[in-house]
Amino acid sequence: MSRLREPLTVLVFLLPVLVLFGAFRFLPMLGAAGLSVTDYQPGGDVEFAGAENYASLVGDDHFLASLRTTLTYAAIYVPLILVVALGTALLLHSVPWGRGFFRAALLAPYVTSLVLSGVIWKWLFEPAGLLRDPSTVLPALAVVGVWKGFGYAMLVLLAGIRNVPADCLEAAKVDGASVWQRFRHMILPSLRPAIFFVVVVETIGAFQVFDLIYVMTGGGPVRASYTLAYAVYQYGFTYVEIGKAAAAGLVLWAIVLLVSLTQRRAFERNP
Amino acid sequence: MRSRVWLTILLSVVSLLAIGPFALMVVIALTPRYSPVLPHAWPASLTLDNIVGVLSTESFLRWTGNTVIYSAVSVVAVLLSASMAAYVFARKRFPGRDVLLWSLLSTLMVPFHAVLMPSIVIIQLLGWADTYWGLIIPTLANAQAVLLLRQFIRALPDEVFDAARIDGAGDWRVYWNVVLPLCRPVLATLAVFVFLWHWNDFLWPLVVSGTGDTGTLTVGLSTLDAGHLTIPELMSAATVTGLPCLLVFLLLQRRLVSTVGFTGPGR
Repeated sequence: MSRLREPLTVLVFLLPVLVLFGAFRFLPMLGAAGLSVTDYQPGGDVEFAGAENYASLVGDDHFLASLRTTLTYAAIYVPLILVVALGTALLLHSVPWGRGFFRAALLAPYVTSLVLSGVIWKWLFEPAGLLRDPSTVLPALAVVGVWKGFGYAMLVLLAGIRNVPADCLEAAKVDGASVWQRFRHMILPSLRPAIFFVVVVETIGAFQVFDLIYVMTGGGPVRASYTLAYAVYQYGFTYVEIGKAAAAGLVLWAIVLLVSLTQRRAFERNP
Repeated sequence: MRSRVWLTILLSVVSLLAIGPFALMVVIALTPRYSPVLPHAWPASLTLDNIVGVLSTESFLRWTGNTVIYSAVSVVAVLLSASMAAYVFARKRFPGRDVLLWSLLSTLMVPFHAVLMPSIVIIQLLGWADTYWGLIIPTLANAQAVLLLRQFIRALPDEVFDAARIDGAGDWRVYWNVVLPLCRPVLATLAVFVFLWHWNDFLWPLVVSGTGDTGTLTVGLSTLDAGHLTIPELMSAATVTGLPCLLVFLLLQRRLVSTVGFTGPGR
């Protein structure tokens, strides 16, 4: 093979991925920053708007409320999914028979769509009116989110539990360590990386909650479930304020980055 | 012994909570018209009428066809494009390789809502709104697929590649006759994930297609509501939307479970 042809071959093999990522991942990242400082309209009229869109966000009570709603949702969703996933992972690890069957049953919600979950649970919640009460709508949505999503976290934690040497656990049991002591002092410490991963990934997911809101509440009642991601969609597609929607999207990105960095710090500081 | 029994009972209860809503969905979908539905009464007889009825409406058929196209085309295109790139990332040296790989991976840290508006503006400028091009092509940029395949190809033994070289095989022959066949297990796993991601995808089909010519099942389902349909009809639509995923999962769950750490919680 000639040396001259080698770089060309590499380029050809990379070309589809380069074009796809260039046009639909990297260009939109730059475009988001660009759009957020313009008053772009679908017809194609563009004028530089400076920090106008950001100022409009800061002055928008609904936007500020959406930040608080998103935080509240995350504060309910993340601990709940961690507890459910950890509980089911421990049960699945210790069950003496039918593990494959139980695992399949527990994972079923994870492989279906959020839209489907939303449709079923909207109907299930209907008699109790949980989605019509501003004080219960976020917990109700979080329950559906956890029901749909815990299977993934459970698998990650299950893989972590498998790393605890079985003979050590057996030895501790013989020495009279209780179930709680074995969990607290043997399983939990070796699960730390897996728990960290689950918390970060699920927090990022919680900040982007959209499908469930769209299907189940439309942001209501009285904007009690109007989250940041839903606000981005509303600005862009209901009010057609594209620059403002792009700016709100960037705020979401900044928050996600900030939260993951903070969580990393927190985990590194408490070994 | 007693603790084992309690453990099994507890796990059975939790499992029932996980699959119970699906069971309710299916039973209600099979409940005959004009008869009381759960939780008021267990149906006296079961019928496929609602499911057949939903499947024979023009719009639902179109959504189903579009979802099949969206998922199937995406699976093939993602596997091909990602495996080509993964091969050179894993087996070639070229300037900027690591920087490029890291920048592909960094896109995983970007929430989709952050690039939603510019993406849709690009689609409009290309004239791709409510077309298969607009629906499918932007979703083919899949960093997880490139990463997973690169790890796998890197771990293949060098001897395989040396032997192919000695036989005079060029890069295309190596890719097509060596890399792809050896990657079959990981490609199969990836195919399942890409299928599920696209079948269940919502926000992108919503903003590109809505309920237009290229609308998909998830978007269609989200527009149906109990006001216009009977509950059995609504649950029939939900059943048709969800059943393919549950079946694919049941058939291929071993593959999914073994690679889940790589792929993230889905979109």
